[in-house]
Amino acid sequence: MALLRFGSLRLLRGVFTLWFAVTVTFFLVRLLPGDPALAVASPTMTADQREKMLTDFGLDQPLFLQYLSYLQQLLQGNLGISFRQNQPVLDILMERLPWTLLLTGTALIATLIIGLPLGVLAATHKGGAIDRAVQVGGVVGQSLFVPTVGIALLYIFGLGLGWFPIGGAMASDVYGWDAYVSIARHLVLPCLSLVLLQIGAYVLTLRTNLIDALGEDYCNVARAKGSPERTVVWKHALRNALLPTTTLVGLQVGFLVGGAVLTETIFAYPGIGRAIYESVGQLDFPVMQGAFVLLAATVVIANFITDLAYGFLDPRVRVQ
Amino acid sequence: MTRSRITRAGWRGAAVAVSVAAMMAACSPSNPDASDDASGPDGGAADADGDDDSGRPAGEAGGDIRIGTTADVVNFNPLVGNSRTDSWVTNLMYPAMMTINADAEKVPALATDWGYDDDGLGAWIEIRDDMTWTDGTPLTAADVAFTIEAIKEESLGTVAGMIGALDGAEAVSDTRVEFTLNRPDGAFINSVGFWMPIVPAHVFGEVDSVAEFANDEEWVSAGPFVLTQVDRGQRYILEAVEDYPLAEGGRANLDRVVFRVYPDVNTQVLALRSGELDLIANALPPSMVNEVAGDDSLQTYQVPSLGWAHMQYNMRREPLDQVEVRRALAHAVDYEAIRQVVLGGNAVSANSSVLTPTYPQWAEEDAEEYTYDPDLSRSLLEDAGFTDSNGNGMFDDLSFEMVYDSGDPIIATWAELVRDQSAEAGIEIRLAGLERNTYMDRTVNRDFDIYAGSWAIIDEPQSNFTLLFHEDGFINYAGVDDAEINRLMEESATALTVDEAREPLHEIARIVRDEVYDNVMYVEQFTFAGAAGWTGLDAKPSELLSVVNPQSLASAQAPE
Amino acid sequence: MTPGTRQDAPGGEPGGDVDRTGVPTGGGDPGLIDLPEGDAGVAPRVRTWRAFRRNPLGVVSIAILGVLMIVAVAAPLIAEYPSGYGTEVLAPPSGEHWFGTDNLGRDIFAQVVWGTRTSMIVGLGAAALAIILGVAVGVSAAYFKRLDTPLGMLVDLMLSLPVLPLMILVAALAGPSVSTLVVVIAAFSWPEVARVVRSQAMPVVTLSFVDAAHVVGAPNRWIMIRHVLPAVSPVITVSVVLTASKAVLSEAGLSFLGLGDPSSWSWGAILHNAQRTGALSSAWWTAVFPSVAILLLVVAATLCALAYNDARNPRTRQDSR
Repeated sequence: MALLRFGSLRLLRGVFTLWFAVTVTFFLVRLLPGDPALAVASPTMTADQREKMLTDFGLDQPLFLQYLSYLQQLLQGNLGISFRQNQPVLDILMERLPWTLLLTGTALIATLIIGLPLGVLAATHKGGAIDRAVQVGGVVGQSLFVPTVGIALLYIFGLGLGWFPIGGAMASDVYGWDAYVSIARHLVLPCLSLVLLQIGAYVLTLRTNLIDALGEDYCNVARAKGSPERTVVWKHALRNALLPTTTLVGLQVGFLVGGAVLTETIFAYPGIGRAIYESVGQLDFPVMQGAFVLLAATVVIANFITDLAYGFLDPRVRVQ
Repeated sequence: MTRSRITRAGWRGAAVAVSVAAMMAACSPSNPDASDDASGPDGGAADADGDDDSGRPAGEAGGDIRIGTTADVVNFNPLVGNSRTDSWVTNLMYPAMMTINADAEKVPALATDWGYDDDGLGAWIEIRDDMTWTDGTPLTAADVAFTIEAIKEESLGTVAGMIGALDGAEAVSDTRVEFTLNRPDGAFINSVGFWMPIVPAHVFGEVDSVAEFANDEEWVSAGPFVLTQVDRGQRYILEAVEDYPLAEGGRANLDRVVFRVYPDVNTQVLALRSGELDLIANALPPSMVNEVAGDDSLQTYQVPSLGWAHMQYNMRREPLDQVEVRRALAHAVDYEAIRQVVLGGNAVSANSSVLTPTYPQWAEEDAEEYTYDPDLSRSLLEDAGFTDSNGNGMFDDLSFEMVYDSGDPIIATWAELVRDQSAEAGIEIRLAGLERNTYMDRTVNRDFDIYAGSWAIIDEPQSNFTLLFHEDGFINYAGVDDAEINRLMEESATALTVDEAREPLHEIARIVRDEVYDNVMYVEQFTFAGAAGWTGLDAKPSELLSVVNPQSLASAQAPE
Repeated sequence: MTPGTRQDAPGGEPGGDVDRTGVPTGGGDPGLIDLPEGDAGVAPRVRTWRAFRRNPLGVVSIAILGVLMIVAVAAPLIAEYPSGYGTEVLAPPSGEHWFGTDNLGRDIFAQVVWGTRTSMIVGLGAAALAIILGVAVGVSAAYFKRLDTPLGMLVDLMLSLPVLPLMILVAALAGPSVSTLVVVIAAFSWPEVARVVRSQAMPVVTLSFVDAAHVVGAPNRWIMIRHVLPAVSPVITVSVVLTASKAVLSEAGLSFLGLGDPSSWSWGAILHNAQRTGALSSAWWTAVFPSVAILLLVVAATLCALAYNDARNPRTRQDSR
């Protein structure tokens, strides 16, 4: 019951966040200097098309009414028409979304899988060489410039060693199991560059929380009872250290999908991030705006899932 | 619906990522067109060399050619699309009546013969009788007539600007189309023949508005290849058409052409070097040419541009209406440096003449390029009455905005040189690198001080000069309106031989240079790159035709 | 000195304990070096500084930041402004051109030097703006109880948005220039600062001397300036460094996408130039040196902040296990 209440509260919060994201973009775009009509109607559209877009989005009306009609269009799934491709923005982006979800989802999972043992290693060797190396490595990873890393990875593992394909998301003419293999092989390098970028945050956080947890009374009690240190770390301390670490996911997912813009461009990965890159070159504002709204929705959903996971993990939420 | 297969695979993959458990239990995606796959899926293990894109149907010799491009197709309608990728893909599907050979002469493609009536008010084209659309309908003169009428009626694309002389077109038989002209136009046939892709009347005629017809599925075409699969952001697959009489042997050698999209040119070249691409459709950036030319596993194709790169000064605006100011601007720039440094030597001087060396039959031999002489620029401006009252080295009230397409790295680069060098001569230039469509919009509306850009193709000077220099010329951006030039253009248009036309054309070129109506800077040499060992590829002049023109790809053959 | 971030386990409010992120926030991450105890009875600031000096990573980092600062200020003395063109195009690093040359034969060393200046201006400008906003919001949230919930919510919301796409949208609409970059980056960086400042200020406002000041009838503004701001000033110092370094990364990203200022050199602009001319994959030096400059700055700033927090935090300073 408590969990249900908790869940619905989180859901409400997610919807609120999304509304906020949409509202922020709406007013940013309208209130910035420049022609607000630019946000929905291209200067190269025909007069009829332009008229229709302007009426659809109510640009002939006062700002607040415009805002309402914008929300209304959005609820109907109308993100506008791409200037350059002359197609509904939603159609264009929905073709791209799965690839972004695949890339960022895999990167997130890989980060957690690799980051967990690294964090534990650093925490249990606190102050030692391993600890220092992990920390500095984490900091360096966060500070790398994604395109340079991307090209370097492609150069070494794609061209030099030939282990992975250069660019794209999957081969054509592959079916069945081969299709999965192909998708996975195309995924490795872009995923690796995203892992490098964000793993530092997770490792450093986990390390901090684990060090704290290891100093808590229940760990000392466990030690006093004669539990081996390994059991203390993995069974008692880690569980408690992981809880606050999950909240980091919420903060980092936004950063992660942002990093996808540069990564997908360099790796010719057909996701939403690359759609953003392409629409920047063409000043295709509806696509940029739509991509942001979709990415914000992705982040909200990711946060919601994390929150639920947190709810399951944390006894206090369950009991409350 | 093959085009959504990839998307579905992506969704499935995304689901896999979200749940590791699903990864374990993942069932294989099924082959949507199992008939193609009678021999079973290509073994993934056989492709373990790092290139799993080479899967070609077993047992067929033709195989694929994988071509890199930097952008997606924006518009599949050949009468509307204007990006390079659009034309590379649609050119393989919608035939033109003529093409050009290596000497930039018009030669037959779909057309077999053509000519004008004696009074110059009628023109006719004969086309082949053995062409069919991919749905089995024969391609006839009615399709040609339909296409040109649609272009005229809805003012579609660049061709609309070339058919001002057209009154009407009529298919008098299955193979002959006749045009009625309202004035003699010596370049009408060549322009239409070369530039106009023929579309099927029984498909394009069914829609309300050809301009708004997306043509994005179930393509009916008549080129060597036809689109069968589109994965936006990834690839465009065209399959060979069984009956293509223009190719030797009645069919393209290859089975498929696969365009793959790489938004970043660096990644694109890496993919070529690693063997994942066989060819790159876009011209290499000059700074990459040496690197690629030194790689034994690659081969390069060089072709000249059929146009030129230039700056135009908007003479509708003060003080650019003064010839001294335009001359000062022209002498402030070091063109040789731009050719050597920005283009890495991959360009030749046009001697500041609109009759470029690419067309030897017209070229002006004694023309001389504007010398780079900032001091001359300064004294020209001083003579014209400009002063530098605050002594900061810059003339007062002499500041120009230069518009260019920021997506063109070469022009964007030399624009900076032009700005810096003009500042040496005391002229301030403000750079306005614009998004391509905004830039086109600004130039078409003549809303600029200085325009920097390039013509892809200026053929047929006898008539095309009218577009450039006539008061109402379609691309007369600078606002040239010169009675002497008008007279000379008439003289050249009515000339029947090259020798007769040469003199008035030379005179026009001289006036254009003296008055700085058009500042021709260089003629670019394009370099295209592909994997070594391919045969039959035939690079044609200009980046629009490139190595991926239909003749080239129809005869291309993979290395043994 | 790290209340607010040291509460054990989040009290049933998962979103609330965001200060425990490993991205150093100025909130006091126990960190790199565990220092021996001592220094009892010395003023905290002096103690912090002593502890900091004993941390080699911190000292090296601050030295690197100092050098970069000097390079930015003294750019005209170090290298000539890169303009025009040179004869050696895409020459690899040599005695004459330490970092090689670009596609126009311009010296990349000079570009990196002058790029330091632009990148620093953008970084510090954006940081200054973000700090002003962030401190204002953070302190208000801590001080005025009624504002805490709405402001906290606002900060949480802003933090969960994908910031880069939003920056791209705004920069593309507003047109490229240094001032656009500064404003855009600041506009989306302040929530981080607000969050840290709020958690740092929260315990201060409940301290007895602040209550006492209230009782005496001191005006809010006076209390804030006299008591609250000094208490949060250490985290502000750290925030400046971290926000500036992140701003440099954001600037590089935006410039790389072609949204930078076309008329000034920045590290991102050098990389953008290398990318669009195809030099990125064929001439490594065009990409490596500006990237290394970015890396150095951001790593040094982060390590510096970590070391400062360590030095300030008695728990890590005296921790012994």
